Amino acid sequence: MMNRREFLGAVGVAGVQLARPVRLRASAPTAPVAIARCKDYGAEFLASADKMFDQLGGIGGLVKGKTVTIKINLSGVETTRQDHLPAGRTFWTHPRTVGAVIHLLDKAGARRIRVVEGAWIWPASLEEFMLKAGWDPGLLLGAAHRVELINTNLPYKGSKPYSRFAVPHGGHMFPAYDLSTAYAESDVFVSMSKVKEHGAAGVTLSIKNCFGITPTTIYGNKVPVDEPSRVPYGGRQEIGHSGSRQPPKSSPSENDPKSPRQAGYRIPRIVADLVAAVPVHLAILEAIETITGAELPRRDITKFVSPGFMAVGKNCVTTDAVAMAAMGFDPMADRGAAPFETCDNTLRLAEELGVGTRDLRNIEVIGPPLKDVTFNFREHGLPRPSRLPGGRQSG
Amino acid sequence: MRWTSGPLEIAKRGRKETLAPTTREAIERWHDPAALNVLDGSPIDCLVVTWAAGMPEDAAQQKTAAALLEAARSRGLAIVGWTEGTIDPQAAIAAARASGLSAIAIKNFTGQSDFPVISWGDQADVPWDAKGPVLAAADNVWPGVSVASGGADASAGPTSLPWLDSNGWFIRLARARVETPVWLLFDPPGKGVRVLPQRYVTAICDSEAAGARWVISMDDDLRSGLIAGSTAARESWKQIGRTASFFKGRAEWKSYRPLGLVGVISDFEGENLDGSREILNLMARRDLLFQVIWKSQALERPFLGLKALVYADSGQTAQPLRQKILKFVEQGGLLIAGPQWASGGPPANPEFDTHFDVRNHGKGRLAAARKEMPDPYELAVETQFLLSHRNDLMKIYNSASSGCTSFTASPDGKRVVLQGLSFADRRPAGAKTVWLRDDRGNARLWAVGAGPVPVAAEPSEEYAGVEYHLPEAVSAEPYFALEWGV
Repeated sequence: MMNRREFLGAVGVAGVQLARPVRLRASAPTAPVAIARCKDYGAEFLASADKMFDQLGGIGGLVKGKTVTIKINLSGVETTRQDHLPAGRTFWTHPRTVGAVIHLLDKAGARRIRVVEGAWIWPASLEEFMLKAGWDPGLLLGAAHRVELINTNLPYKGSKPYSRFAVPHGGHMFPAYDLSTAYAESDVFVSMSKVKEHGAAGVTLSIKNCFGITPTTIYGNKVPVDEPSRVPYGGRQEIGHSGSRQPPKSSPSENDPKSPRQAGYRIPRIVADLVAAVPVHLAILEAIETITGAELPRRDITKFVSPGFMAVGKNCVTTDAVAMAAMGFDPMADRGAAPFETCDNTLRLAEELGVGTRDLRNIEVIGPPLKDVTFNFREHGLPRPSRLPGGRQSG
Repeated sequence: MRWTSGPLEIAKRGRKETLAPTTREAIERWHDPAALNVLDGSPIDCLVVTWAAGMPEDAAQQKTAAALLEAARSRGLAIVGWTEGTIDPQAAIAAARASGLSAIAIKNFTGQSDFPVISWGDQADVPWDAKGPVLAAADNVWPGVSVASGGADASAGPTSLPWLDSNGWFIRLARARVETPVWLLFDPPGKGVRVLPQRYVTAICDSEAAGARWVISMDDDLRSGLIAGSTAARESWKQIGRTASFFKGRAEWKSYRPLGLVGVISDFEGENLDGSREILNLMARRDLLFQVIWKSQALERPFLGLKALVYADSGQTAQPLRQKILKFVEQGGLLIAGPQWASGGPPANPEFDTHFDVRNHGKGRLAAARKEMPDPYELAVETQFLLSHRNDLMKIYNSASSGCTSFTASPDGKRVVLQGLSFADRRPAGAKTVWLRDDRGNARLWAVGAGPVPVAAEPSEEYAGVEYHLPEAVSAEPYFALEWGV
């Protein structure tokens, strides 16, 4: 295990802005978003994704000759299921869709494709996690000529374990985050997620998906006070959700330790920070099937549904805004209004950091009319309890 | 069933605590033959009665028990006299014979007797070579999510997983050593802890699923409640009876042998006792299916069907066994062992940060600890990864607070049963799905007091293997069994 001095050297602490964040509303760019109806994880998804990439102007210019990193969403415990359905049909990215995207990225000329996830409390490889969960990692590894699977919860095996990513404008919650160096070695970052509701962030879309890029060796429960742990010991509740403690001293502390210690305040700010610090170049959202009510299966709260749509864009905020609309939500809604009953609007916070606009009036939507793909999550979900289970989320 | 009654029981308890009047009364009344009426309709076929403890009250205990024993005999019950403390074994045996007991249990008895003697010992000091009709072990845990960790679904382990207390690992250890039936003795939590009826069910299932029998022991509240005719106590007792009956009707499952790809070799004694046994405990909790290989049997026992061996002991290994183990590796197996097994083969280190230096050796791999063997928790975790989940034989989805699953096959291999346990008091997250790597076809599903019902084998959607979808009602139970080949 490295000592603190070695760690600080390894992450290159110089140049990180440690001052309190500047609360400015940066100008938020826009970018078109392609939407499509899609009912199938196989050929239909592949054809739809291919077409949607074309509708966005193609991805060759983005990925050709580049290292592309796909952050998939494998949240929670690997042995959880909604009813008896595989996680890929309910709350995880579906393995066949990942395989299809790898294939398309390869076809577009990507030099190296890395599939990454901070897999739960998992001290081994992402491949092993997938095997434990019942996936065939061969499906992904065989989808292109150079595919790697990386568990970014663990210290990176390359040049240095972690790299520091400063948040523009100082960040809402942290001025900078220490993440796996795999993210620093990435030229193109793809956020790929199942479309879901989330108890402490309103929705899980391409922005919230990035909560999982924080390594639980630094931002996980029970990590040491001074430096990262060797392996993960717990989820992100203590530092991420409740703020009951700070990360190890080797990593930047919060901007304002007196800010609310509430998941609905913290998680939206953290994920907004993350997508500002680690820009998402391609957001791929899939709601062929999913669950309503929460981000993980929960008795009497979540329900399996088949919305049958997908959304793809080159800006995570605009893509999430369109996906929210397709879920029957208003991306301009603020705390108190659905789906942000108990939390702040993640999209607004990312917008404030200049990541992108959430205003549908400023977003070009390509494909069928939005109303034709819209699937109202609340109308199709179970009756909502009077009090949401905020703060119990896994991230 | 442990039948704790009479003046000796009151004296023993009185030495440790101030007995509540209701508890004292219940112990007294339990000594009355009429108390046996509680057994009406129950599957209880043997009473383990308090007999001697090297205390002045021993004589009174045996004298006053006469009527109770006579009534028990007339019910066709076997009666075992339980002794502890410093006693004269021959005198206790003589008294047992004179009183018409079926057998007497004496701690670590090594003498000769033509009267049946059950030589019992604590888990750490079991008289393995005793000749009695039963192997009995005390000092076991009360199965469940550890109370010390904060109760059901508590986050207590290093990975925030619930900390399960189970005796299943020990039973597997015992059953790999002896052919005689294995009895476990342990009591419900003491004063101040409310014991829910399902905890008794869990206690029975934890022992039975692993192939042993718990000598049922009531807590004071249940005994007092039964004496007082409480409806709740009677319902709890019925539930206990139903559970015991279920397993009595499936006694052949106890003859089945564990399926598992990992063999754990140790003498399980002396300086290796704590470490090797904790490895079994933690592997069981993680549902890493293993087979116990006593070092004394390792030379004769084939390693057929195993993919990995964990050599848990420190020190050098006798040459014949060492050669046999190395041959297993050369033929493609994986050995996980201490630094004394270090090999000079080409490195084959895995992706994760491991305590082992992994080298190719023949067609297999030899993983020798870089320093000393890691702690049992880390060893269990790393064994799973070194072997790879690619080799998993089974998985259970929605199984929080579960573990210690028993996956066994009949001696001829034609019949297989998977017995799943849930240690949580709360309802699980949802319906359970059981995944098997090998397609064994449709199964029969059992729950305590229900079944069998057919369950279809469904092809797994995401990977190889088949799945069995358990109904939600069964998923919420502390126990289920899937049976194949019937």
